[in-house]
Amino acid sequence: MDAAALATERLYRRRKLTNGVALVLSGAAAIVGLFFLGWILLTTLDRGIDGLSLAMFTEMTPPPGAPLGVGGLLNAIVGSIVMCMLAVAMAAPIGIAAGTYLAEYANYTKTGAVIRFVNDILLSAPSIVLGLFVFVVLIGMPRQIGNALQDTAAGQAGGWLEGMATWLIDISGFSGFAGAVALGFIVLPVVVRTTDEMLRLVPTQMREAALSLGVPQWKVISKVLYRAALSGILTGVMLGLARISGETAPLLFTAFNNSFWNIDLGEPMANLPVTIYQFAMSPFENWQLLAWAGAFLITCFVLLVSVLARTLLLRKKMSHD
Amino acid sequence: MTNVQIAVQTSTAAPEPATAAKLTTRNLNFYYGDFLALKDINMVVPEKRVSALIGPSGCGKSTLLRIFNKIYSIYPKQRAEGEILLDGQNLLDPKYPINRLRSKVGMVFQKPVPFPMSIYDNVAYGIGHYERLKKPDMDIRVEEALRQSALWDEVKDKLKQSALGLSGGQQQRLCIARAVALKPEVILFDEPTSALDPIATGKIEQLIADLKRDFTILIVTHNMQQAARCSDFTAFMYLGEMVEYGSTQQIFTKPSKQQTEDYITGRFG
Amino acid sequence: MAAPHDHIVKSFDAELERINGEIARMGEMALSQMQAAIDVLNRRDSKAAERVVINDDAIDELERTVSNDVLRVLALRQPMARDLREVYAALRIAADIERIGDYAANVAKRTMVLNQSAPVAPARSLPALAGLAGELLGEALEAYRLRDAGRSASMRDRDAELDAAYTSLFRELLTYMAEDPKQITPCTHLLFMAKNIERIGDHATNIAESTWFLVHGEQMSAGREKADKTSE
Repeated sequence: MDAAALATERLYRRRKLTNGVALVLSGAAAIVGLFFLGWILLTTLDRGIDGLSLAMFTEMTPPPGAPLGVGGLLNAIVGSIVMCMLAVAMAAPIGIAAGTYLAEYANYTKTGAVIRFVNDILLSAPSIVLGLFVFVVLIGMPRQIGNALQDTAAGQAGGWLEGMATWLIDISGFSGFAGAVALGFIVLPVVVRTTDEMLRLVPTQMREAALSLGVPQWKVISKVLYRAALSGILTGVMLGLARISGETAPLLFTAFNNSFWNIDLGEPMANLPVTIYQFAMSPFENWQLLAWAGAFLITCFVLLVSVLARTLLLRKKMSHD
Repeated sequence: MTNVQIAVQTSTAAPEPATAAKLTTRNLNFYYGDFLALKDINMVVPEKRVSALIGPSGCGKSTLLRIFNKIYSIYPKQRAEGEILLDGQNLLDPKYPINRLRSKVGMVFQKPVPFPMSIYDNVAYGIGHYERLKKPDMDIRVEEALRQSALWDEVKDKLKQSALGLSGGQQQRLCIARAVALKPEVILFDEPTSALDPIATGKIEQLIADLKRDFTILIVTHNMQQAARCSDFTAFMYLGEMVEYGSTQQIFTKPSKQQTEDYITGRFG
Repeated sequence: MAAPHDHIVKSFDAELERINGEIARMGEMALSQMQAAIDVLNRRDSKAAERVVINDDAIDELERTVSNDVLRVLALRQPMARDLREVYAALRIAADIERIGDYAANVAKRTMVLNQSAPVAPARSLPALAGLAGELLGEALEAYRLRDAGRSASMRDRDAELDAAYTSLFRELLTYMAEDPKQITPCTHLLFMAKNIERIGDHATNIAESTWFLVHGEQMSAGREKADKTSE
């Protein structure tokens, strides 16, 4: 081989080497990530499988120190379901509306950019901060105002001021509703973001085609664009749901927890994450076992919802080719 | 040697009968923000004929087309100045109702964009917005529109199926059916066949030839041979200006401007 | 129109150039055939005349080549405007030059027959006639080469000269034949040869008209003066 061919050959071999190294490194990184994920899942499965039984879904949380196998997580599961559903029910419509506004009316404007930015901040806000915020607004402040009003109304006999003060103090306590609101704040930015992106993915030409028929913009959105972006929007909602099912911090200050059955939104409501926290930190073996079982349950649920969301999105992608 | 005459040889084609002007633009200027994209366009689109707009990329032909149904108005930074007369009425006048304009001037886009609904609903969508029709009447209108776009025979058994299952050429014909269902007077085509294979293209070109019996047609195309095949009148645009406008035969055999000649013979640039 | 600059796709220019070259070669061959025909007439050389006749095949072959090339350009390039007129004119000019070649060969063929009898006086006028025709052909071909429509127009007007010369030769031959019936045969041959030469002039005029059409995109105005008064 002559000099030029030799040089090319050398270059080629070096490139192959670099490629090989990069491949090995990135493969190793993937394996490391997967390894730990697998370990977590296996550990959770291993520890939790013993606690898994039908009883988990039918019996309430047991008192500490009870024998193993007694009691379940029914009130926690039900409480979590109620609060998550309520959170989604409150946040999804607002989120979809906001996302629609961003994509259709404020798309290239400065307002839109600002809203998107603020939404992204909310999206990455620590959930404990959100919990604290809801605590202050729904629990802390009403109590303060109630107390203040009560003081001022102390002199005047009866009247609406007195009634208002009592009501405020009444509602200012840990409640399932406050928990749902806190969770809602976590779901909201996810739905806004996904709706915005999914609507923006709909080709402009479809929008223009519908408008060219003389149909007004709101009708174009509701009849055509939503249909086109539906699966994407649903995915957003499901991802939000998956996220909040494991959130503990916001519930600590809002719904707190309840050892007993309660479906009254005005009172503290049992939920899985806080229950797991409580049980895992305790020295009681039956509680620890239930904590593992609960953790495993949440993991499975989140996995299921995520996979479902992804399949939906994949199907939508394929049908558009 | 003096420059050429523009007169078309009388011995060649049969003389074109005088046609009324359907759309007339006067001193039309168009801005993207501060950028003047269309400069002083004065053009006549004759009634019930096919007029083509040709020119290199960025010359403004699509921009001009999109003014005629004011689809640019959904974008904040775009505005038009001047007059466009549709049957004598200026459609750039803010008082001219946009929805009425769009029921008279329909548009078909480059990429076939069927709505995510059934074939029947796609066609009925626009109609339903303007007229309250009972089901049998709507059925008739839908069939009429599909027949006019040469699609009826292929879809009459599957009207309730999703429109996304049709082939590219069929989807485009569905979009055409959607536009003609509103019984417009003018139909705008923005590069209607550039995403289609030759056979589908041929069918659409035949369709356009049939449609011009009832509608005035304005078509933007970057395929000169298509403009030569399909249109009666051709306008050549460059850098936002209307360089030359005349009968298709004259433009393609003996254009009067050197720029036009350079473009159509592939000497541009 | 200003001379056009190159196509974006260079091979298109190459194909047009090739057709141009083929026509130029045909033109040269036709001109030299005409020279040769006159030459063999003057020298009364039948052998050479035979060669002229055979050489005409080459012109015919070239005409077929030009036809094929034009068809190819039409099918594969979809030429428009001036390009279309170029290939269209090339097709017609090739046909005209091919006929001119045929006429030149016919003149040579008749020379072979003429040589079998004694020289005839009017034969002396023929070379001048042919020379004029040759000039006209050269002028038409040059105008085409330069794409000069003005030159084509002036050449066309000169065809009247050729027609006038032909008319006078025609009368001269008639007179000769009337005076001496024994000369009828050679004179008739001469008549045909003169007619062939006059036809060469007409075809050269066609070439000029094609050139005009190529440049201007419309036909030359009809008023071509036909000074061939022999049919009056």
